[in-house]
Amino acid sequence: MSVFFLYPLFLLGLLAASLPVLIHLLNRRKLKRIRFPAVRFILLSQKRISRSYRLRHWILLALRTLAVVFLALLLANPIFQTGAGLFAGGGPVSLVVLLDNSLSMTWSGDGNGFKQAKDAARMLISALSDDDRAAIVPTNLTGKELFRLKGQKDVLLRELDGIEIADGSVNLEAALSKAYELLNVPAGQKEIRFITDMGLTGWDQFSIAGLKQLDPSIPFKLIHVGRKQAPLNGSIKEIRLGSQGVGANLPLQIDVTVANFGDSELKDVLAQLSIDGQNKEQKLVTVAPKAESSLSFQTRLSQPGAHTGQVTLKKAGLAGNATTNFTLDAQDKIKVLIVDGDPQTSLVQSETFFLSRALSPSGERDSSVFLPTVILPDGLNAAALETFQVAILCNVATLPDSLSPKLQNFLRQGGGVLIFSGDKFQADSYTQKLARDLPGQLGDKKIGPEANGEKIVNYDTKHPALQLLADPILLESLKSARVWGYSRTAAVGRTPLIALANGDPLLLEQKVGAGRILFMTSSADRDWTDLPLKTVYLPLMQSLTQYLAGSNRGALDGGIAVGAAKEIALPPTFVGKNLRITKPDKQTAEVAITAVKDRAGASIEENDRAGIYRLALPAGDKNGDLPQMYAVNPPVLESRLDEISTRELQTKLKPIRAEVIPVDALKDGGKRTDLALPLLALLIVTLLLEGWLGQRF
Amino acid sequence: MADSAKNYFDPKVLAGISNLALRARWVVEGLMSGVHRSRSKGFSVEFEEHREYSPGDEIRRIDWKALGKFDRYFIKEYEDETNLRAYLLLDASASMNYASDGITKFDYGCTLAASLAYLILKQQDAAGVVTFSDHIESFVPPRAKRDYLTQILSALEKRGPGGETNVGKILEDIAGQVKRRGLIVLVSDLLDEPEAILKGLRQFRFRGNDVIVFHLLDQAELDLPFDGNILFEDLEATNLHVIADPRTIRTTYKQVVQEFIDDMRKQCRDNTIDYQIISTATPLDQALASYLSWRG
Repeated sequence: MSVFFLYPLFLLGLLAASLPVLIHLLNRRKLKRIRFPAVRFILLSQKRISRSYRLRHWILLALRTLAVVFLALLLANPIFQTGAGLFAGGGPVSLVVLLDNSLSMTWSGDGNGFKQAKDAARMLISALSDDDRAAIVPTNLTGKELFRLKGQKDVLLRELDGIEIADGSVNLEAALSKAYELLNVPAGQKEIRFITDMGLTGWDQFSIAGLKQLDPSIPFKLIHVGRKQAPLNGSIKEIRLGSQGVGANLPLQIDVTVANFGDSELKDVLAQLSIDGQNKEQKLVTVAPKAESSLSFQTRLSQPGAHTGQVTLKKAGLAGNATTNFTLDAQDKIKVLIVDGDPQTSLVQSETFFLSRALSPSGERDSSVFLPTVILPDGLNAAALETFQVAILCNVATLPDSLSPKLQNFLRQGGGVLIFSGDKFQADSYTQKLARDLPGQLGDKKIGPEANGEKIVNYDTKHPALQLLADPILLESLKSARVWGYSRTAAVGRTPLIALANGDPLLLEQKVGAGRILFMTSSADRDWTDLPLKTVYLPLMQSLTQYLAGSNRGALDGGIAVGAAKEIALPPTFVGKNLRITKPDKQTAEVAITAVKDRAGASIEENDRAGIYRLALPAGDKNGDLPQMYAVNPPVLESRLDEISTRELQTKLKPIRAEVIPVDALKDGGKRTDLALPLLALLIVTLLLEGWLGQRF
Repeated sequence: MADSAKNYFDPKVLAGISNLALRARWVVEGLMSGVHRSRSKGFSVEFEEHREYSPGDEIRRIDWKALGKFDRYFIKEYEDETNLRAYLLLDASASMNYASDGITKFDYGCTLAASLAYLILKQQDAAGVVTFSDHIESFVPPRAKRDYLTQILSALEKRGPGGETNVGKILEDIAGQVKRRGLIVLVSDLLDEPEAILKGLRQFRFRGNDVIVFHLLDQAELDLPFDGNILFEDLEATNLHVIADPRTIRTTYKQVVQEFIDDMRKQCRDNTIDYQIISTATPLDQALASYLSWRG
């Protein structure tokens, strides 16, 4: 039951209701003074008539005030409405029905919420009269959709049928702004009905300041699709990689966090992992109320390249997003050529013993991302460098003449070279053969007693190859290492990645073409340093090798949330071309690739469905760095079925006054009565009474 | 009566004549010019007491009615046979100093009193005047001398109106001072407690005086002809004031005033007192005609 006004601006006329009182007060102030002998008779007269006089006086004042009030109300044209607002009687209506089609509607109304919401919208549309106009606006707006008020009910009902549950959240600010924009122009009675489950997640992001348009005078009613009982409510919160990288035929560990949003325990929920559509592993998980649990899947990918994955929760009566998509980019093993410049009969004393173990720690080739091949310097001439991604020269005395052009070509093609110094290392040879490609000016060797070894104190933890040092254990391990022998090298205007306490560089970098050279001024074994015995040695060597291989491949990508934009970076040569996207529902779209600083980029915004989005360049173009696909998932919190309270809602919406109506109340119908005629009658009666009473004074 | 004669009594015309003697004469001469001169009674013979008959008394003075009642002879004794003694009592309280249009009640009352004095003295009767507010302002005992009018007029002109009214008490005071019976003429707006006024008037009646009351009111006091919201301040009681819209109370006010007049008239009639309500807008001949009708 409510009253609203067709022309609320006229309500300002209510201020004029104070005019009779003001006139009365002003008259009282304009007193004439008369000295008079028979004041006692006046007093007596007043006493005799005062009761009836005052009564009539106040009645007259009240009637005049009422007349002004009635006139203002009449001009504002109030409409009295009972029930939840099916429209019977009254003037033409401009109605905007906001339909909550967020994912949470899947589980509202005891699993039937979206159907109830659509039925409610259908009832509202059906109840419109011929002069009424309406628009149905789903709440998953991107802001680009076109809407207009229309009077054809059949068209509106068809539009309603076409609205489906979106995988994203409510964009309430955009939807409400659109509603006010639509109702901005028409005169007469306006209404907004928002059919929703009042899910907390959408309202969390809502701020009244975010509305582009606002008119608090337009009645705003929320038709609440509720639920009778609290369901089991949980979802996958996070999927992340548990293993070191993702490689073909390597062990792959995927860690999954399951969140329980409900007040009941999620007991023995079946969690299934599938890769490329094939079920790989399944586990049972139990999650306490309002808590989280983690579980790990172990599997192996047989092929390198892009893979799709899903983790699905299965439990009868479970409300919340059950399936989460992700993508895997499995790299092939990084082929590493290791040249041992100081081979020994004892393997342990070999120059490359620690390094090769660091790159293949378990000793079994299949378990590591790296595929190291150790050769002696004699084999360098015959080695096919182009079949390796990284070449590591350990204490190699000199570079053969024929190697120099091969090495430089290898570097310019994107290969990586890591050079270790050592007792055999001859700086002159390297300076002569590699010249400008070396990261510094090589000097003489400095070798001291082990006890006087230099500490490592400077390191660039922001460098991609040294980000592992963010781990305090690894950092402490690095700091504990001592270096007592190294090749003195002048950094020449560049900052060493790692430096000793005396300021001499330990690790330097030089970019050559698409590739890089890293120079470690000390030895790869423990002849000049105890670093190979430290915890940090293994991850450091792996990180440096991965960095030189130019590889950020081998990753698990949990994807983006529905509605978010996916940014793709490409080499500058792709500017002006189109990126083709195939959505989960097989629909395709093209996005222009534009220049972004010195690179090319594309922003894919239409991620409105959960699933896997596949990317492709126009026919003929290929690029190895372009990800082939990405995953889009519903926002995790959309699975949280908590509702916003009416009080919180009113606070959020202030100054809009929202009335919350249960969806069932719509069935009771309603009635709308135009109060203009009764008000006109009241005004006439008031004026007649005023005139009659005024005559009697 | 011709229009020119009416002017003699028009209060507005009279207000233009500053000399009270001239004003009184103007009124009386104007009045007398239109009527026959009445017979002058000359003496008044008034019974005083009985005493037992004793030889030598005149037989015609025996009261035969008393013989019938008491079976004894009584002789009627009479007071000194004198002319009429008239006391003109003029209210000089502040409330008399009101005029809505032209002449104040006090001036009207003065003219009336002076005219009466002139008339009485002209008829060789004795006239005196008393002006009062809440006390006696001046007291001129009655004399029948022709030139006594000067003293009377002087007393009337001695001071203007002022002070509060206390008619009842003053009447009692004056009644105590009037030793011989006569005619009491009270000219007042009677804006006092009716009971107190009547009590005072009864004192005169008890002493055998004849009493005529000229109740003077301004026309505005009768009609309340004002408009708008007005703060009415009392002329006598400074703390008495009231805000009123005359339009809303006029009818009731008129009723209240009329009830007051009717009550005074009835009370006076019950006490054999002549009562005459006079508006200051009323020509003075009506007031004098009332006196003359009393004189027969």
